[in-house]
Amino acid sequence: MADIKRIKVGTASCGLAAGAGAVLEAIRKQAGNIPVSETGCMGHCYAEPIVELELTDGSSIFYGRVKGTDEAAAAILAQSEEGRFVFPEKRSKLEKLLVTRLAGHINPVSLDEYKANGGFSALEKVLTMTPEQVVDAVKASGLRGRGGAGFPTGMKWSFLAAKKVPDKVQICNADEGDPGAFMDRSMMESVPYQVLEGMLIGAYATGATRLFIYCRAEYPLAIKHLTIAIEEMKKAGLNKLPNREAPLEITIKEGAGAFVCGEETAMIHSLEGKRGTPRFRPPFPTDSGWNTLPTAINNVETFANIPIIFQIGADAYAAIGTEKSKGTKIFALAGDVKTPGLVEVPMGITLGEIVYDIGGAEPGTVKAVQTGGPSGGCIPASEFGVKIDYDSLGKLGAIMGSGGLIVIGNNRCMVETARYFLNFTRRESCGKCTFCRVGTTRMYEALERITSGKGSMDDIAFLEDIAPKIKKGALCGLGQTAPNPALSTLRYFKNEYLAHVQDHVCEALACPALVDVAIDPAKCIKCKLCVKTCPVGAIDPANNFSVDNAKCTKCNSCIEVCPKKAVSRVRKQSANA
Amino acid sequence: MSDIIFKIDGREVAAQPGETILQAAARIGVEIPTLCYNQKISKTTSCFVCVVKDCKTGKFLPSCSACPAPGQEIDASSDEVKDMRRTALSLLVSEHTGDCEAPCTLACPAHATVEEYVRAGRNGDFRKALEIIKQRIPLPMSVGRVCPRFCERDCRRNIGGKPVSINDVKRLSADMYYDTYMEDLPALNGKRVAIVGAGPAGLSAAYYLRLQGVASFLFEQMPEAGGMLRYGIPEFRLPKDTLRKELAHFGKMGGIEIRTGQTMGKDFTIEQLEQDFDAVILAVGSWASSSMRIDGEEAAQKGIQWLGDIAGKNWKDCPNPGRTIVVGGGNTAIDCARTALRLGGDVTIVYRRTRNEMPAQAIEVDEAMEEGVKFEFLTAPAALTKNADGSLSLSCARMQLGEPDASGRRSPVLIPGSEFKLQADTVISAIGQRTVVPEGFAASKRGFEISADDFTCSGRKKVFAAGDCVSGPATVVEALAAGRKAALSVVDFLNGVPHKAPYEFNVSRGHWRSLAKEDLVYIRQVSDAERIQPEYIPLEERKTTFHELYPTFTPEQVSGEADRCIECSCTGKHDCLLKKHSTAYGVDPNAYKGAKPISAVDVRHKYIIHDKQKCIRCGTCVKVCSEVINKSLLGMMKRGFHTMVDTTFGQGLPDYCVDCGACVKECPTGALDWKKKE
Amino acid sequence: MNSAFSYLGEVEPDKGNLIKGLQLIQTREGYVSNDGILAAAEHFGIPAAEVEGVLTFYAQFKRTKPGKYKLSVCDGTACHIKGSTQIRAWVSAELGIGDGETTEDGLFSIETVACLGCCSLAPVLSINGRVYGKLDRKSLTKILNEYKAKG
Repeated sequence: MADIKRIKVGTASCGLAAGAGAVLEAIRKQAGNIPVSETGCMGHCYAEPIVELELTDGSSIFYGRVKGTDEAAAAILAQSEEGRFVFPEKRSKLEKLLVTRLAGHINPVSLDEYKANGGFSALEKVLTMTPEQVVDAVKASGLRGRGGAGFPTGMKWSFLAAKKVPDKVQICNADEGDPGAFMDRSMMESVPYQVLEGMLIGAYATGATRLFIYCRAEYPLAIKHLTIAIEEMKKAGLNKLPNREAPLEITIKEGAGAFVCGEETAMIHSLEGKRGTPRFRPPFPTDSGWNTLPTAINNVETFANIPIIFQIGADAYAAIGTEKSKGTKIFALAGDVKTPGLVEVPMGITLGEIVYDIGGAEPGTVKAVQTGGPSGGCIPASEFGVKIDYDSLGKLGAIMGSGGLIVIGNNRCMVETARYFLNFTRRESCGKCTFCRVGTTRMYEALERITSGKGSMDDIAFLEDIAPKIKKGALCGLGQTAPNPALSTLRYFKNEYLAHVQDHVCEALACPALVDVAIDPAKCIKCKLCVKTCPVGAIDPANNFSVDNAKCTKCNSCIEVCPKKAVSRVRKQSANA
Repeated sequence: MSDIIFKIDGREVAAQPGETILQAAARIGVEIPTLCYNQKISKTTSCFVCVVKDCKTGKFLPSCSACPAPGQEIDASSDEVKDMRRTALSLLVSEHTGDCEAPCTLACPAHATVEEYVRAGRNGDFRKALEIIKQRIPLPMSVGRVCPRFCERDCRRNIGGKPVSINDVKRLSADMYYDTYMEDLPALNGKRVAIVGAGPAGLSAAYYLRLQGVASFLFEQMPEAGGMLRYGIPEFRLPKDTLRKELAHFGKMGGIEIRTGQTMGKDFTIEQLEQDFDAVILAVGSWASSSMRIDGEEAAQKGIQWLGDIAGKNWKDCPNPGRTIVVGGGNTAIDCARTALRLGGDVTIVYRRTRNEMPAQAIEVDEAMEEGVKFEFLTAPAALTKNADGSLSLSCARMQLGEPDASGRRSPVLIPGSEFKLQADTVISAIGQRTVVPEGFAASKRGFEISADDFTCSGRKKVFAAGDCVSGPATVVEALAAGRKAALSVVDFLNGVPHKAPYEFNVSRGHWRSLAKEDLVYIRQVSDAERIQPEYIPLEERKTTFHELYPTFTPEQVSGEADRCIECSCTGKHDCLLKKHSTAYGVDPNAYKGAKPISAVDVRHKYIIHDKQKCIRCGTCVKVCSEVINKSLLGMMKRGFHTMVDTTFGQGLPDYCVDCGACVKECPTGALDWKKKE
Repeated sequence: MNSAFSYLGEVEPDKGNLIKGLQLIQTREGYVSNDGILAAAEHFGIPAAEVEGVLTFYAQFKRTKPGKYKLSVCDGTACHIKGSTQIRAWVSAELGIGDGETTEDGLFSIETVACLGCCSLAPVLSINGRVYGKLDRKSLTKILNEYKAKG
């Protein structure tokens, strides 16, 4: 048995939420002279908190779902066989860890560790090239913007580089707002230097003089790590570029809770201290952006890709992926899968491989995936053979988006899913253009009527009519994609809409207005747990445990508490009344 | 820099650099609607009513903000583009709350702009009031007396009180200026139209034809013109002298000729008229009494004919009808009863249902009761027999109310064994009228009316029809509205253009029954006086003479009454772009249903009303106040559906607002407006 | 300027820092009052109506003073499915206040939040950062009563 060289505890947000703080404390107490280091996230969120033992022989042992107790810490220090975490084989085979290679393996705020693992070698190489050569290399890599729309990064950089003005702006878009997406957060928390290195390369290539990171205020740990990293870089003089007189300042600006600020013109307004409303383009930001200066905005993941391109070479990078979508993509896999987390896969992998092989979902239990969050769409299981890239997902009525990938099991209602997302976008609409401000609310209301059993065929016809018009008419990307969740579910799951409207049936038994709660007398052991649990007294033990469905709020408490699974949701009995 | 060459609707345009598609289009006369574009301020790009399509990319662009690209092909007028604009307007309208027009104006079948003439009356300008009234009501002296006042039924003063006595503004205005008022008339254009029937519909058609320079010739079979006004409505409601004064105006206009004593089929035929005139309008009314369908009916007088006979004579020469039974519950029945009473009769009205179901106006039933008319409700006649002494015996049965029928009224059901008899000297049947469809014309489904689509008689290109003969028996004001519509239809026919009923977009905050007192918006101090009450002539005089029931109010009285008007219509209705474009694009105000953002009306400023319920959130006012006036008193608040324009902390425009009105001037709707309407 | 907000001097009076300034006020005061808006308007040289417009655009800012106990009801996807709507209704019924409001005694305030990151315990709410999970009416009432008793 080799000795422990170092102990690493994953303390990114997901690890902390799972209790990594207590784990770290418990291990530190017993570690003695063995160095204990905090690391970021490896993407296996389902197994958090994760502890890694680096051994003197160069190998590592991993522990998953570690408890924050002294006993657990002692067992780990004793290199116990129990509780070891083994990377799932199928997933390891399919994943291609380029951008996230270091995430979870190094101390995020240690410049030395980053450097020791190849960090800033890309910048070093870049500084031997001319800015034009750098832009060309990014073009040649085929990298497209990872924020969602997929605009070629090299092209955007060339626009900014072409501006012959002394003052230019580069912004890192870290306003990750899709519910269920946390790729960018993880990158900033786990490998902040990699993102910053990408930004410095960008500044060198484009001639940008002012660098901003616009980050959600909800990501305090990311902001903390970036702040430390920026300071460390400054100390090391890394922000002094040879083609500049003054060292580059990177300013972190915190967002204040507005999803629409992910849109680049809205983000610029927000950075200027204004309401985060988008404006019509052109002029594009590269012509007139922050305070009318030429401005280029790239997403966190995009910047994190940049050092990789120069580490492995643009040609090698371009060899990964499909014809029009190069490199890898990081997805936040969530929903009805066994092993949710962050996965990095080469473009061109199939949805089925992600859902079944990586996520571990049982075939037959899944009816769709939702990609791209509120801007994306639902893709039915029948299309899971499709190879993922920007264009193929678009053809299916979804989008690549920033990387949220929510797996929807058979027990979910697709109309309710659409309603949920429309509720999100209508709240996040900036309110400037008519199509989005009023249109998304009207769509939400129609979906709300349908899920609450009050819908009509007119509502379905309305959705089908208005949705494409909002897509065509809305001012910015938020509005132009807001109807997608409704449109894609109408395209693939119209039967569910019809069942809600015509038969007052929610097949998934998800819509409270269309379900009853019933107790199966054959299974019931009359333990009265349900009666005690029911918050509204809807279950009458004197009357053969009948449920008063008029009183019942469908809170599911009784269903969860029943030891015999005798309580369940059923179709509403007075369905057609 | 050189011009940018591109195409709009296939036409080549050269745009200067920086010029938008909207501006370039305007230069070549392609009108693109917009609400939020304003040259004085930076781009708002909000309403999206100005969308156009880039034919090559298929993308829709807000033309107010998009600058053309060389070689671009812009579609600014296709149905697809128009549909997008209609959708944008419909979405805006779905969050819009207000009253484009006041409910009284909408309730008036002739759509007389009630609020406007009431306001003129309030200001004591009764000549102006008359001018406004006559735009829709060419017989204001008569209507001012006999109208059932649809407008007042929908008046918002009904909330916790009584409506404004609107019709009395009309009566006074007409009485004051009937003799001196004259329209600005265009010269006659040589076209000639024959009108059969000189009742309200025919006269109205003649009037509005004349306003368009078209001469008309009315063929009236009775000795005097006026139709139902002359021969149906008794003198105590509309004195013959008053009617004659009103009708004299038609002769003074020049170009309207009334030929009385002309009976169709005897003195002239439709075919002759078709030959001699450029168009013909049938306005023959509904003069045939409906049958009671009882045995011995022949012995009864037919209500409308009986009234006509008396109207044709001096009432002093008419015999006492003695014990009189009037069968029916409509206005004609009440008129018959009150006429018989005045002739000395002892009058009972027999009606199958209860008072609540009576189609007659409530006020007239009250007046009849006051005068001593007796009522037998829930009573149906079964047979009429002549007694040996020449008197009549009406067998009746008692009824009870059953289920509602097609008309929504509860239908009477006979109570078995309840039969009884009423004795009378005169029995008058007044249970309804119908049209005698002239030979060669189609009857409607109901079998009573001339079939008329857009007032054009089927099968005869030149012949139009209007009034009771199309609609079935209706009110005078409805006949006037129909006559006007027929006239406009005829004018289009004479000009060889297809007639399209004009569409006027309107939103309403709802009927007063659905509103509370707190929902009312006041732009001025409104009188809280009670509704004015007429001073009737003494009851004895009412019972024994045909003198008019009460005199016309004085100008002071009417101005005071008009001061009770809330002025419900939108202050911005005349220059509201949302209304203008929604009208042009045929927007249905109820196309999209859904919640409206909760927002309020701010009337705290001395001169400016800020009605946030009408705001389209374009922010033009915000930018005008900050970029042009340099005051920044308004801000865009909140976001999404709840975005709104407001003052700091919602405290209203502050004292240091310079009342410049720039925000009012540039507001595309009535959201920011002056608190006055003149 | 209102001396209560003199700490705004820590932020450069550049218009682009308005949001940062407002965030500072909220960090210090727990919310941004009318006086806070006026102070920011003066510090940054931006009209008050515009400052209020910026502030009310962003969901992060609170306009009312939060209660001593800040309740955050989670409406993330998982909690939503498990009935967060019901939880919010119950909380409102118990405290007599709606979303974004504070009780008259200043003890409680409610806000709905996107996700507390405790999806496995859904439905959850947090009170001053302490998370309570797997809520039902009874446990909710019990928790609130404990806080009420503490005062």
